[in-house]
Amino acid sequence: MLSYIARRLVISVFLLLGVWAVSWIVIQLPPGDFATTYETYLMNQGSMTQQQAEDAGNRLRKQYGFDQPQVVQYINWMKGIITQGKFGPSFAYGRDVGELIGERLGYTLVLALAAHLISTLVGIFVGIYVAQHKYSFWDNLASVFAFVFASLPRFWIALVIAYTLVFVFNQHHITSFFSPEYALAPWSFAKLGNFIQHVWPIVMIAGLGGVARNMRVMRGNLLDVLGAQYVTTARSKGLAENKVISRHAVPNALHPIVAYQGTVLPYMFQGEMEAAIVLGIPTLGPLFYDSLVTQDIYIAGSLLFIYAAMIVLGNLIADISLGFLDPRIRYN
Amino acid sequence: MEDTDTFIPQERPAPAEKAAVETLLAETTQHEGYFQLVWRRFRKSKPAIVGGLLVIGLAIMAILADFFSPYALDEAILENSFIPPTQVHLVDAQGKLHLRPFVYALGFTVDMKTFVATWTEDTTKIYPVSFFVKGSAYKILGVIPSDRHLFGVAQGGAIHLLGTDKLGRDLFGKSCEAGRISLTMALFGTLISVAIGSVLGVTSGYYGGRTDTVIQRFVEFVNCFPQLPLWMSLAAVVPRNWDSFRIFIIMAFIFAILSWTTLEREVRGKVLSFRETDFILAAKEMGASDSRIIFLHLYPNTLSHVLVILTLTVPTIILAEAFLSFLGIGIQEPLVSWGLLMRNAQNVQTLGQYPWIMSPVLFIIMAVLGFNFLGDGLRDAADPYAIM
Repeated sequence: MLSYIARRLVISVFLLLGVWAVSWIVIQLPPGDFATTYETYLMNQGSMTQQQAEDAGNRLRKQYGFDQPQVVQYINWMKGIITQGKFGPSFAYGRDVGELIGERLGYTLVLALAAHLISTLVGIFVGIYVAQHKYSFWDNLASVFAFVFASLPRFWIALVIAYTLVFVFNQHHITSFFSPEYALAPWSFAKLGNFIQHVWPIVMIAGLGGVARNMRVMRGNLLDVLGAQYVTTARSKGLAENKVISRHAVPNALHPIVAYQGTVLPYMFQGEMEAAIVLGIPTLGPLFYDSLVTQDIYIAGSLLFIYAAMIVLGNLIADISLGFLDPRIRYN
Repeated sequence: MEDTDTFIPQERPAPAEKAAVETLLAETTQHEGYFQLVWRRFRKSKPAIVGGLLVIGLAIMAILADFFSPYALDEAILENSFIPPTQVHLVDAQGKLHLRPFVYALGFTVDMKTFVATWTEDTTKIYPVSFFVKGSAYKILGVIPSDRHLFGVAQGGAIHLLGTDKLGRDLFGKSCEAGRISLTMALFGTLISVAIGSVLGVTSGYYGGRTDTVIQRFVEFVNCFPQLPLWMSLAAVVPRNWDSFRIFIIMAFIFAILSWTTLEREVRGKVLSFRETDFILAAKEMGASDSRIIFLHLYPNTLSHVLVILTLTVPTIILAEAFLSFLGIGIQEPLVSWGLLMRNAQNVQTLGQYPWIMSPVLFIIMAVLGFNFLGDGLRDAADPYAIM
């Protein structure tokens, strides 16, 4: 078991290194560098001459080491992240990208994980229910819902919710975490309630697709398990049906759901991102989008890395917990 | 007997041959080909048929967009901006029933405080909706000249089933046209991903060993990337001053580079399971080359699964393209896609005043539902020997 965990860890480290390299490539893709953007900005907004702007740009290049070869820059970037948590300069915010991400990462994680948790629980329970009532009215209804919700564009659901909240219910503070009266108040239950009032659309939109997937997987697995002989044995022993389900069938049908958690997590992040961009709620999503539009490329690259790192981590946790849960998995 | 298209000779020459013909017929019905079996199972699934029809319908509307749109596709009259969806009536204001559907004339009032024009129906004037009307000239498929439109109203009236956008373009006609880009982009992206996935999958499954390990690690690596953020960051660095066709091609490649992994795993699995079967071993014993085995014996056997994944990849690309174009980092004008048509809805203020600018979403939903239903039906049908 320990060697299995160790091996997964080593693989994850290599994956992270690869992800790092790709993020760096994305940062380097736009023509020119960060200082070039700065020069254009100075010429357009600060009405400097080209010479002055170039001098300022070169000073910046020296300061951040953009005049050094690619490999050195790459290694410095990695070193900065590991040793000081510095992800590079942000042009629009005039601060280090690491700080910016740090401010928003917590909220993003909370929202994505809440969506993840809710969609998993709801999906599993609905899946268990409909598997027991195969082809019943509720089963068909659930399938239709799963299908339709997987087909609706998430950005459109967000638009509809924004429209309804603003123009039907006159809720005007949809683009922030809290209403103004709670923004600076210390945490309390009222503030938490206010928080939920603002973020439920994101959690719902991100979670919807997950509910549908989890439900379908759970239904399919449970139906397979219910057809197994040991379930028939349990029934013929005279066990109550709900005991057969909860003790014998469900635990064996859960493994694929756990194995699949790592792959579901990216969907949650993407859903969270899509909804937050449309609704303008300040999590990592809008930061990412704005940085792409303004070509504030260090933010984009760093966030790409953070997202990928979270997926690698999610997969690692899923693999390890599956190893604990399912003794049939071999570790070599 | 369901088989109606079997040829039965009208004149039967001799009674002695009748029995022979009947045994022959009996045999042909027993030996149905693989694709006949797939089709037989596929057509039993109603959602799959509905999905197929939706997809075909959207494709026809896209190809013949000029015909389905009541107005010329490049027509943009700024005075007509933000006209709400036209209501088609059967009963007029006096309660009289008309057999031919009609629309009322459009009038508008201007709020003198805000200078916002509001479009109203003028119930005194009636324009009946006619079909196959003469209108602006266009060329079917860019070749055959024509001036017929599926529906329209006489001069002076206006019919905008989904309203108009900021530039006064008819959203229904534009949505039909946008299908050209949205659907071909999704299909093109999917085909590229199918090509990558098939090549790597067959290589990985057929050669095995170290090649397999390397490719599988690579798949794992590609899978670590969250699709949407990577698509967005790659799309955003595409220079905006490129011509729109080049952007289109590049976008298709961007969508393809993260979509091929599911297909690769599926193809690899199939090839692995077939590699040790007798007919492959027999082909090897007879001295068949690797390429002959792969292209003649192995890959055709994975085709049904490839088709299923292809159908299910298309909707993900449609959705992603719509979102990116909606954000303004996807398709660029003068090309139009469904997402791009919804761009103005980003502004909540505009959205509040003119909610119908979201209407191209209907086409997105139809396309995605259609492909999902189709893919689901195909998945059940792809393995016609399984017991359901």
